[in-house]
Amino acid sequence: MTSPAPGRRAQGPAEPASADTSARRRAAGNGRDTPTCAIVGGGLGGFVTYTTLRHGGLEPAEIAVFGTDPDPAATFRAQAAAIRQRHMRSESDGHVQARTFPGLAVRSACRSRSIRPLLDSVRDRYRPTVDEFLAHVAEARRTSGWDASFRQERIEQVSAVDGGFSLDDHGVFAHVLLAPGHPGLAFPPGLEDDPRVVHAYEPHDYADEVAVVGAGMAAATEWLNALAAGSRVVSIRRREPARRPLNVERRYFTKRGLAEFQRSGREERVALLRAFTAPSYPPGPEWDEPIADAVAAGRFRVEPEANGAAQVICATGFRRGFQADPLLGRLVREHGVETAEGWIVLAPDSTVPALTDETRTLSLAGSCAQWGHPGADTVVGMKYAARGFLRRVRRWRTR
Amino acid sequence: MAYTLSGRVQSRLAAALLPLLVACVLAVTLPAWWPLELAGLMLGVGLALDLVYDRALDYQPGWLALPLGLVELGAVMLAAREAEIHAPVGAAVAFYAGSWLVAQLLAHAGFPLLRLTYADDGGELGRLGLVAAAGTVAVFGAAGGYAWSQLPPVVHLSAGIHQGPIVIDKRQHLVGERGAIVRGGIVVRASHVVVRNVATLGGEYGIEVDRARHVVLDGVKVVGARVDGIHVRQSTVSIRNCTVAVPGGQTQGIDISFSAGMGMSMVENCTVVGGQQGIVVDSAEADIMGNRVSTTRYQAIAMTEMSMGMIEQNEVAGAVGSGIACVDQSMCMISDNHVSGTRADPSSPGIERQGGYGIVSDYKAEAELEDNELVGNAGRIGVFAGAEVTRPDD
Repeated sequence: MTSPAPGRRAQGPAEPASADTSARRRAAGNGRDTPTCAIVGGGLGGFVTYTTLRHGGLEPAEIAVFGTDPDPAATFRAQAAAIRQRHMRSESDGHVQARTFPGLAVRSACRSRSIRPLLDSVRDRYRPTVDEFLAHVAEARRTSGWDASFRQERIEQVSAVDGGFSLDDHGVFAHVLLAPGHPGLAFPPGLEDDPRVVHAYEPHDYADEVAVVGAGMAAATEWLNALAAGSRVVSIRRREPARRPLNVERRYFTKRGLAEFQRSGREERVALLRAFTAPSYPPGPEWDEPIADAVAAGRFRVEPEANGAAQVICATGFRRGFQADPLLGRLVREHGVETAEGWIVLAPDSTVPALTDETRTLSLAGSCAQWGHPGADTVVGMKYAARGFLRRVRRWRTR
Repeated sequence: MAYTLSGRVQSRLAAALLPLLVACVLAVTLPAWWPLELAGLMLGVGLALDLVYDRALDYQPGWLALPLGLVELGAVMLAAREAEIHAPVGAAVAFYAGSWLVAQLLAHAGFPLLRLTYADDGGELGRLGLVAAAGTVAVFGAAGGYAWSQLPPVVHLSAGIHQGPIVIDKRQHLVGERGAIVRGGIVVRASHVVVRNVATLGGEYGIEVDRARHVVLDGVKVVGARVDGIHVRQSTVSIRNCTVAVPGGQTQGIDISFSAGMGMSMVENCTVVGGQQGIVVDSAEADIMGNRVSTTRYQAIAMTEMSMGMIEQNEVAGAVGSGIACVDQSMCMISDNHVSGTRADPSSPGIERQGGYGIVSDYKAEAELEDNELVGNAGRIGVFAGAEVTRPDD
């Protein structure tokens, strides 16, 4: 451990390699003007981690956030707009503040002076609007100090070094959380270069007849969008979607289900994760009735292949697996990080075991962290990784 | 939330702390033990049900707290009845409702604010949970210790004859071993005294209770008292499982007098033999239940001088004069008694009310009768001097 993080380097003369490590850490912890923590990814995963670290007592100067857009909701905003999403799939807890309370339902109740959001919330029926969520993110961004920590840089390489991780040429950080987001839009084989094709998360309108590929939440949203626009809809799917409120069973969002998940063996966990990523969308008449009406009117049908449709909308989500992400792929290759199929194997607290010890932390958040938490790509799952990261940072600071 | 079992228990213990402290304050200010007993019962029932919930509920939506709360309320009420916790129902339900509300507020807002990972951890509170559990145990421990310190001393009376009278003027329990006899009687002049399994022999009164409340005489035997077997004045007593045998003359087996307005007394499951009156309640409120009274020479059981109470399920046999008497503006509910063999008083020829009636209502008294068995008495029911007798089907 001869290469201290930037925060430590700023504390005066370098100490010899044999110096007491706790003394060095104390020195580093006392200097709050240089970052010791880095968040790679300026999206919602990075932002949730940032608010959690700030809640944990870290100053903006102690945290460096690397991203391509200073608005943490930029990607989500564009994708939600593309599929004309009105309501979040997440519930009251799907907010970006560190503490669970107050949730979005409480905030909405206070704002609207109505008890309705609270009653909906206790019945698991509360779905915040996208606009409410985006306004909440904007408010949190304003009050959190995010802009003071944000650096508009794309990180290409994360390398483990003594006492931390170097991020390109931006220095060495003791604790790094990678939240690179989804590695790109997924298209079914053969449709990538089809001129009729547009991805659901890209801006688009609707032709008279629209083939929607996929059967998850985005696909269901697109069925309703296209029907509302007056189009005929052909649902291209090979299996029926599951109907569940959240993409992962609720019990997996707390220790009760998580402990069981995290105890599972390699094969079993891969199978579980595959099951969780199967297409699903929530039950309810708001989904079923428009489709039933359209079926009766001959405007909605299901087919296994997209044949002669004028427009093909691929509601097929995102590319999966660390191989699809250049940053993660390189990390795995260069450091021999353990993987299972497309997932990076993580400890229960979402850290990379081989690269995390008492002196440094490498955590993952977002879709790439599903090995640690099956709902890692949800806001609640992102918070789980962020809290694990905060625990590591705190432990390091108090040593 | 998907609670873990540990999370449920920790959350419940932590949420119980505030109601427990409120219960302590109530217990001191009332003063009464029921708030603490109820708080303990609520916690015990809740913890027991947590074991059930843990198996039955993988995930607990917020709305389920309401029906589960009602189920727990029912369970607590049943348990309180079994445990004989004499809490006023309205106050007890209000206490439960307040505690439930506190628990909900803590679960949804307080605990998530106090502990960042409360939801992730399925309701587990970490160190806070340990502190809360320790706090709860400490409060119960302190309350239990205080209660223990307040317990009256127990004086054991060895077998054999002890020269009396024994005068008890401090709160204590006097418990006799088998064969413990006090010659000359026992005098009780302090409240919350318990006399158990002691026999008295002779004396003016076998046991005298004077100006004391909440006195319990349990399993006592009184023989040969010159005036009254058990003589109670301006006091409230619970007399049960007793045996009283008094000689003739102007004697009463059990006499509870001049205690009006002090609360109910109770005479239950006693055997009284002889005396002018077997059990008499005079200017007092009392329930007389399940006793056996025989061979009295004036009235077997009597309520007189504006007394009030129930006379229920007693067996009266071989009385002279009258069996059960409700006299002098008293209000008596007389039900399910068996009165047999009552004879007219030969020493009072021509006095009608002494004519051997099974039941007498005399001088503006109001007697409500139901399901009494009157067998072989000289008269069945006598009503005199403006008194009334009513029956439910009248």
